[in-house]
Amino acid sequence: MPDSGTILALHDVSVRFPRRPEAVLTGVSLRLAPGEQLIVFGASGSGKSTLLQTITGVIPHSVVASLGGSVRLGCDASAMQTSSTSVVALSRLVGAVAQDPSSSVCLPDVEQELALPLENRATDPGLISDHIDQALDAVQALTLRYRSTAQLSGGEGQRIALAATLIAEPAVLLLDEPTSMLDAAGLDAVRRAIRSAVDAYRPAVVLVEHRIDEFAGDAGIAGLPARALVLGETGIVIADGDTTDVLAARGRALNQDGCWLPLDTELHAVTGYSGGLGASDVRVGLRSLADLDTTPVQASRHSVGPIVLAAANLDIRRGAPPARRRGRAQAETTPPVLVRVSLSLHRGDIVALLGGNGTGKSSLMLTLAGLHPPTAGTVTGARPGMIFQNPEHQFVEHTVRGEIRHGLPSMTDDELESILHRHRLTHLADQSPFRLSGGEKRRLSVAAMLAHDRPVLLADEPTFGLDRRDTITTMTALRRAAESGRSILFSSHDLRTVATEADRVVVLADNTVIADGTVFDVLRSDEVRNRAGLVLPPLLRHLLDNFSDEEGRRVLRQLDAAVTGTTA
Amino acid sequence: MTSDLVSIGTVSADDPSIKTPGSALSRRNPTIKLALLFVVSLVLMFIFDPITTLVLYLLGLGAIGATARIPLRVLILAHIPFLAFAVSLVVVNALSRPGDVLWQSGALRVTAEGLSVGTALALRALVIGVLSIGFVLSTDSVALMTSLHQHARLGSRLTYAVLAGYRMLESLPSEWQTIRQAHAVRAQLRPNGKPPRGLRQYGRAAFALLVLSIRKGERMAQSLESRGLGLSPRTTWRRIPLTRADWVMAGAVLATVGAIILLSAFLGYLHGFSALRI
Repeated sequence: MPDSGTILALHDVSVRFPRRPEAVLTGVSLRLAPGEQLIVFGASGSGKSTLLQTITGVIPHSVVASLGGSVRLGCDASAMQTSSTSVVALSRLVGAVAQDPSSSVCLPDVEQELALPLENRATDPGLISDHIDQALDAVQALTLRYRSTAQLSGGEGQRIALAATLIAEPAVLLLDEPTSMLDAAGLDAVRRAIRSAVDAYRPAVVLVEHRIDEFAGDAGIAGLPARALVLGETGIVIADGDTTDVLAARGRALNQDGCWLPLDTELHAVTGYSGGLGASDVRVGLRSLADLDTTPVQASRHSVGPIVLAAANLDIRRGAPPARRRGRAQAETTPPVLVRVSLSLHRGDIVALLGGNGTGKSSLMLTLAGLHPPTAGTVTGARPGMIFQNPEHQFVEHTVRGEIRHGLPSMTDDELESILHRHRLTHLADQSPFRLSGGEKRRLSVAAMLAHDRPVLLADEPTFGLDRRDTITTMTALRRAAESGRSILFSSHDLRTVATEADRVVVLADNTVIADGTVFDVLRSDEVRNRAGLVLPPLLRHLLDNFSDEEGRRVLRQLDAAVTGTTA
Repeated sequence: MTSDLVSIGTVSADDPSIKTPGSALSRRNPTIKLALLFVVSLVLMFIFDPITTLVLYLLGLGAIGATARIPLRVLILAHIPFLAFAVSLVVVNALSRPGDVLWQSGALRVTAEGLSVGTALALRALVIGVLSIGFVLSTDSVALMTSLHQHARLGSRLTYAVLAGYRMLESLPSEWQTIRQAHAVRAQLRPNGKPPRGLRQYGRAAFALLVLSIRKGERMAQSLESRGLGLSPRTTWRRIPLTRADWVMAGAVLATVGAIILLSAFLGYLHGFSALRI
């Protein structure tokens, strides 16, 4: 029964993938009115992305999966069933922005990228230029019009992808973690762009997002879509309704499932009081978390162990090491990304490396790992281990078991099994590394690296793109490695994770190290934060202002413990 | 040879400092240019004497030099792979073709026929080479694809798939480097402290690159579909002009090539497949 008040209708939708026993979505029914906005919550694996794929028609047309029930798009006469309409034809009504800007921007120039959707819809060529200006204006990116897409930063690329989606004026806009790959500066620009673009074009919106507080901005829960849908295990709809009500009723369960939640919801789940940091009951609750457990958590421990890796006066250039024959010419043309960097890592240290996108964090780690020669300076110490931002870059074998054994021919079967067990990989031992979920891939890459006995472990954005539970699991594995005497250096954009785990931070900005000190001291410095473009999340600001370092660290550990169900 | 390829890589078509916007040749229609390159190459397949091909090469070099505004250094560097190929053609033919022996030493002997045919083939490679250099460096890749879509009826899905693939290709080298570095971390080092560089290691890295590229390709294809690529009817925003000047250029090139061949035949220099007979 089509009616003009519904632009999107899912009726009893179920999705199964071949060779997976349990369903990914089960009996999902949902109606969305034109212009209505919806946010989808759920633990990883609850089918959030699958839900979006059923709406674009990618399921069942491009992905092998069986689709039950029906998905209808459009009002009255123009309504289309996704099962009997091609993805391309559905694109007249649906637009989607995906996580990775590098694969959602397809053409060499920004102008071309924006013209393509209009050309495809047979727009009068005389009007296209004006439409491009309007769409760029809506995402606050007018200055990017004449740029080549290869030169765009992640945040810029994501705004162009958003403009290219909205320029066709889709009735339904799907946003699948649109900010997950961006640093603070890029995220802020994209968040404002989404807001202003949605105001300009008024599509119905379905949003899946990890970094919810950052997405909502200062408005908190009020800054989120007004309606929320919660998906549970096997993709069953657990709740559907007003976002504030849904989060109040389901917050505790979602928090325990390891979802990222708005801070107010998380604090409500843990302290039992609503109102966020502004409410005195919540603040008292946080205070009591600090007093709950008085075992020392070493929030401001100074580096005491012997030095295991030392870098002195490093100058680093990006890109391929200069070829011998043309080394001189190249060295003169590309400016170094880092100059005169010195730092040392001590046994048992956990050090966080901070800095905006493009400040040379990855280049520095590669140099410390001995994989990228510096143009000047020295690195001394035993061979370090390193885990990469994308775990797939590291995979060399065809099974999880082989992956852990890789490079260690003398490993016994007992040792292998104990590593698999310790990192909860036993049930996956014979699977292909490439087929694991994001969290499982990360666990494997950490386990495989830790199997090698290296005094230093470098980790490039180890928690990138993970849900809260996997983030905590990964960081716990790194902390255990430090407790057993290794030294850890990890980079991150997530200051809360940094404040929870790191002893020391090293901050990169303006082509060099601008700060190196205990984590809370450095984060308290306005000057350092401003120079490095670091933005303190409200919780961290509150803890820094009102708690001692030791207490602040304990509160953060207790909040994590509310997810994992263990004591910190 | 590897370092030669690297040098050529630095003058590849996507480097904006190498492109020659504003040159006479860059203003011509890309489909016409491509068609001319194809026709001339085809005609050359039937010519086996060094004189005719030498004249064609010198004329081609002159025409490209005069109309494409390519810096001399770039033009020379870009010649390297074609020259290497040309030298190999001369050597192989001179040594292997039967005929009047010009020089002999042990098992090696050079024949007049072999030298002549080899030189002709080498010059043929250079003619195609210099025209290709002129074409690639004077033609914008997007304009070429758009023009093929517009003037040669290439389907829109194929056109934009090629453009998107081109963008993906650009990111492959850095992706490859990251994978190699990630693999080196856990590798057992050789006695000299360097990571191993065997076929097996390259195979593993290539597999990872393949998996990642296929995923990325799928995501890009989904992006293009969600932008409505493949809907019809469609319009073209910035049409690539096809003007009288393009037809004049085509006519002039074909007339010149035809005239040279006729003149060469008249003067008795021209040899076709008959030159291959013993």
